[in-house]
Amino acid sequence: MIVNQMALIRRELWEHRSIYVTPLVIGLIIVMMSVTGHVAISTMDQAVDLALLGATNVGENERAVAINVMLISVSTVMVLAMWVLTVFYALDSLYAERKDRSILFWRSMPTTDAETVISKLLTAVVIIPLITFAVIAATHLITLVITSIWVAIRGANAVHLVWAAAPLIDNWMTTLTVMLALALWLSPLIGWFLLVSAYTRRSPLLMAFLPIVLLPLLEKSLLGTTIFADAIFVRSGKLPLFKGIEAAEFFESAGNLQEMAHSGISLISIIDLGRFLSSPGLWLGLIVCGLFTTAAIYVRRYRDDS
Amino acid sequence: MTSLVSARNVSKSFGNVRAVDNVSFDIGKGKITGLIGPNGAGKTTLLKAALGLTDCEGSLSVLGLDPFRQRKDLMQNICFIADVAVLPRWIRVSQLLDFIESIHPKFSRSRTEELLGQTRIQPTAKVKELSKGMVTQLHLSIITAIDARLLVLDEPTLGLDIIFRKEFYANLVNDYFDEERTILITTHQVEEIENLLTDVMFINDGRIVLDAGMDELPEKYVELMATGEQADRARSLNPIYEREVFGKNVLMFEDIAREKLQGLGEMRTPAIADLFVAKVKGAAA
Repeated sequence: MIVNQMALIRRELWEHRSIYVTPLVIGLIIVMMSVTGHVAISTMDQAVDLALLGATNVGENERAVAINVMLISVSTVMVLAMWVLTVFYALDSLYAERKDRSILFWRSMPTTDAETVISKLLTAVVIIPLITFAVIAATHLITLVITSIWVAIRGANAVHLVWAAAPLIDNWMTTLTVMLALALWLSPLIGWFLLVSAYTRRSPLLMAFLPIVLLPLLEKSLLGTTIFADAIFVRSGKLPLFKGIEAAEFFESAGNLQEMAHSGISLISIIDLGRFLSSPGLWLGLIVCGLFTTAAIYVRRYRDDS
Repeated sequence: MTSLVSARNVSKSFGNVRAVDNVSFDIGKGKITGLIGPNGAGKTTLLKAALGLTDCEGSLSVLGLDPFRQRKDLMQNICFIADVAVLPRWIRVSQLLDFIESIHPKFSRSRTEELLGQTRIQPTAKVKELSKGMVTQLHLSIITAIDARLLVLDEPTLGLDIIFRKEFYANLVNDYFDEERTILITTHQVEEIENLLTDVMFINDGRIVLDAGMDELPEKYVELMATGEQADRARSLNPIYEREVFGKNVLMFEDIAREKLQGLGEMRTPAIADLFVAKVKGAAA
């Protein structure tokens, strides 16, 4: 089972190279922007640029926050791109093999349809976040190295100013937790995309998003309720992972980060795994994801359009 | 005879169309069976049911397994080439071998590499860079290296030129086939496989119209070439089919004592293609 899953997931990475090419390209762009940004600052006066870094006139907590903001903005760009990628991947994963008629070959191998569909679910929910996270961490390190070189050229102590202040482990643990929790939280959407991918004869993107947009509209105009809209859209901003506050509100109020900076608390300390794991919304979502995935398995098994 | 494939009253409908209609047959170990039928006769549907790729009514057992419910177990002992386009186009030859090696317990990578060494197929090539003939070569090399008990070929040489076709069947017999292995094959080009087959099945409108060993055919069927009055006399002996070739009448008989036809013309064993036409058209007449 595990050996088969590894082989099947490796197949997904061969077939969908964008899974690692996309984050690598974005990481490269960020690194290049970091280089040009530092060069641009260097054209100013040296005192200005060290002050800009916030190195000479602020305390360690503030420096940690400055670096954290940089690290978080890299992660945010990457995670947003990752979700676009995940949507396209999930929609393509069971559609492409039917379109190029290779499905008969894959089904001539001794694997069950369940194993195959689950490998695609695992790729979307676990593998893509892990790969994206690895690229995020690498991008963080490279941009910090670039900043260190810039600081060192200006005669300042990079180890003290940058690396001692950079809360890397805290930031990474939090980033990875948020990424995986978000993937689990939004897994019903991924399950839905897999089902559409297994079922549709054409344009999976349209077939997947049409009901997502139309159902809430119909519900609102016919019944006046917003159950679907809440389940689909409001849910995305309601990740119950943070202490006593919803994700959307947390990131909306910039004051939170400043507050944290002054108090010197770590990012990971605002994560509340207990709240996340005991949230009925999570388990309901996982059940819905399971139902969609099971339906996708049955469609792959019974559909015969060759 | 140990039966590898055993079908009893197998049917499969698409809406109102009965693609396979109450079919029963057995295929024994070590046989090469040709499944011959016109387009839309139900060949592919029947093969898919036997491979567990589609569900069906009736009872169907392949290697003692229920193909639809136990496809994974079945696929360890069955290989099939359904059509040349079936290998994924984006994959590299080496990746394909990696994948099968990790997932198929009965696959010998070294054997495939040995067979591929005799071709112009490079391990680094992508399937989409290969010609149609080379893709089929690749697929056959893989399948030859899988120690499977049953090989199912559905129009394996469709769209290939004659050199590749000849080579395909030569490799099939020389590298793949032995008394432990069984082959079930469908093709339009019956003449090319006629002398490979040990058994033949005709299917038309979802029904089996003939199921016989190749060695039974000369006893059971005879073709008589006759003209004029001789042809009239032969016609009274109930031929199953009659056609005209170069002004001569060719009459086909089933289960007839050869003495009765003595002196009426030249007798010979019919070719599979002619027999097929006789069975299908004769039944319709």
